[in-house]
Amino acid sequence: MTTLVEAPQSAEPPSTRTRSRQRSAAWKRRAPLLPALLFTIAVTQVPFLVTVFYSFQSWNMVRPGSQHFVGFDNYVDVFTDSVFLQALGNTVTLTVVCVFVAMLLGLGLALLLDRTFPGRGIVRTLLITPFLILPAAGALLWKTTMFDPTYGLLNWAFGVEVEWLSNYPLAAVMTQIVWQWTPFMMLLILAGLQAQSREVLEAAQVDGAGRWRTFVSITLPQLSRYLQLAVLLGAIYIVNSFDAIYLMTQGGPGTASTNLPYYIYQRAFEGFDVGQSSAMGVVVVAMTLIVATFALRLMFRAFDVSRGVK
Amino acid sequence: MAQVAYAGASRIYPGAHSVRAVDGLDLCAGDGEFLVLVGPSGSGKSTALRMAAGLEDVDEGTIAIGDRDVTQLPPKDRDIAMVFQSYALYPHMSVRENMAFSLKLRGMSKADVRVKVEEAADLLDLTQYLDRKPKALSGGQRQRVAMGRAIVREPSVFLMDEPLSNLDAKLRVETRANIAALQRRLATTTIYVTHDQVEAMTMGDRVAVLRDGVLQQCASPQELYGTPRNVFVAGFIGSPAMNLLTLPVDGGGVKLGELKVQLPVRAEQGEVTVGIRPESLSPVGAGEDGFDLQVQLVEELGADAYVHGTLAGHADKVVVRTDGRTPPKLGEAIRVAPCDTGEVHVFDPESGLRIGAE
Repeated sequence: MTTLVEAPQSAEPPSTRTRSRQRSAAWKRRAPLLPALLFTIAVTQVPFLVTVFYSFQSWNMVRPGSQHFVGFDNYVDVFTDSVFLQALGNTVTLTVVCVFVAMLLGLGLALLLDRTFPGRGIVRTLLITPFLILPAAGALLWKTTMFDPTYGLLNWAFGVEVEWLSNYPLAAVMTQIVWQWTPFMMLLILAGLQAQSREVLEAAQVDGAGRWRTFVSITLPQLSRYLQLAVLLGAIYIVNSFDAIYLMTQGGPGTASTNLPYYIYQRAFEGFDVGQSSAMGVVVVAMTLIVATFALRLMFRAFDVSRGVK
Repeated sequence: MAQVAYAGASRIYPGAHSVRAVDGLDLCAGDGEFLVLVGPSGSGKSTALRMAAGLEDVDEGTIAIGDRDVTQLPPKDRDIAMVFQSYALYPHMSVRENMAFSLKLRGMSKADVRVKVEEAADLLDLTQYLDRKPKALSGGQRQRVAMGRAIVREPSVFLMDEPLSNLDAKLRVETRANIAALQRRLATTTIYVTHDQVEAMTMGDRVAVLRDGVLQQCASPQELYGTPRNVFVAGFIGSPAMNLLTLPVDGGGVKLGELKVQLPVRAEQGEVTVGIRPESLSPVGAGEDGFDLQVQLVEELGADAYVHGTLAGHADKVVVRTDGRTPPKLGEAIRVAPCDTGEVHVFDPESGLRIGAE
């Protein structure tokens, strides 16, 4: 009986002391991580907050002393700016088409590489090369050696005289980006293919599944995680494409191949409109977050690849 | 009628030193028979099984299932079901979908599939797990799903590739009995691969012992134990292994230490390899006929104790089974004699073949 009464009493006084001691011990353990945390906040969150702050101001660096708060005017302007809307459309087209095409090509190449043949190591290395080249170098390579109307290999190969970069600017840029990103997709999917258990594939064979059936019912569902990762990472990088557009078309002709990063760059560093470009930046970040968290998840749920194609 | 017949079947892995993983296998599993392929690792037993499944090419010879030559047929046209060592369950499908997969592929109606799957689940005690994914099951349950996936199809042959080696010892013994009982009930021809000779002896109607891709002997468990055809089978079947000693022949017998053992067969002059199982030897009193053994290791198993020792003048170890209640101590010398001369096996030391086998 006495122990029963005593127990809660003795539990109370140390609770505050042990709690504070536990807290300080926890802080001691985490303290070494603090510099990294502070650094991360300093280089990512502070600039973002400053950008948000600027986005509520009318500030053009060409006219010194013009800086003043305008509330949401910049945001209203962003959504009524036809060039911004066009750039938004271009960005969506560019991202969706590039991710999709690069993934299909990557899947095809990965399936071909996932079997043994002489010289496989060399072929694999060669296929990865585009991904290892500096994006700027890749863009210049395509601009000068492939698409150039006078020296370009494309015109020579097809025997035509087409001004690829002027007539099909967005398609040309997308071709370069697909070329650059296919190896990335291929590597990810190849990793997924090689992670498959051989016995599971054999079990499907014994169960009576042909090659196509095995691919659709067994391989594809098991790849679904790798495909999701490939789409997510690919989309994040391709939304931010800048090098290819800057070096190949300068967003032109006119604004035909302008995407959001390039348009923001133009507004900020050619138009010197800090307020306007900050507002665009904030809008783009917000939209990217929405797409990354909701749209992709929704997409995968709708297709529900992981349960197999019926 | 579904017997499986290997006729001179070989599998040769190409390369600088081409390897004959299975070499001219002639073997037949009769209709409804439980045939066990056993051998040490690398003996080609799994390869032989996979050849019957169509997962390995047959480079020479033929394989027939029933009266069809299936040598060139893909796995799906052979009417077989296989249970893999890793179970190879489809990880993204529920237990029900795993079992239904092959039936669906055959175009069976949904209602029929449901009935078949539920029957099989009932038989294997899996009904309450039908909607779980394989990763939410224990090892034993996964093993049963793999069995279920094989039996729903009602194939003419079951092929099992070490299906128990991922289970713990207790569950293995239990599942061993269940599989054997299930096979008797379904009376489906079964080829079963294992490296465990206890599994082979307890489950098989007949056991085929393989070594380096070559069939050594195929016989009933009793016959394998009683009259092994060569030194390899003699040493492989039985636990602990048979004592094999190569000794000079002296007047129709050999000398084990100071004991003269009369050979059950007529041997010429020269040497023979004599095999005596540990359970055919027993300790005797100091004054009786026998040979002395220096005890080096005692393995106590409760009911029995196995005494490892050396014979004076021989490098080879001799193992003796003794009563588990009064085992000899380490370093002692004990006197041992064969209980029955009929249980002495004699082999040719050159070829390893049994001498006197009819």
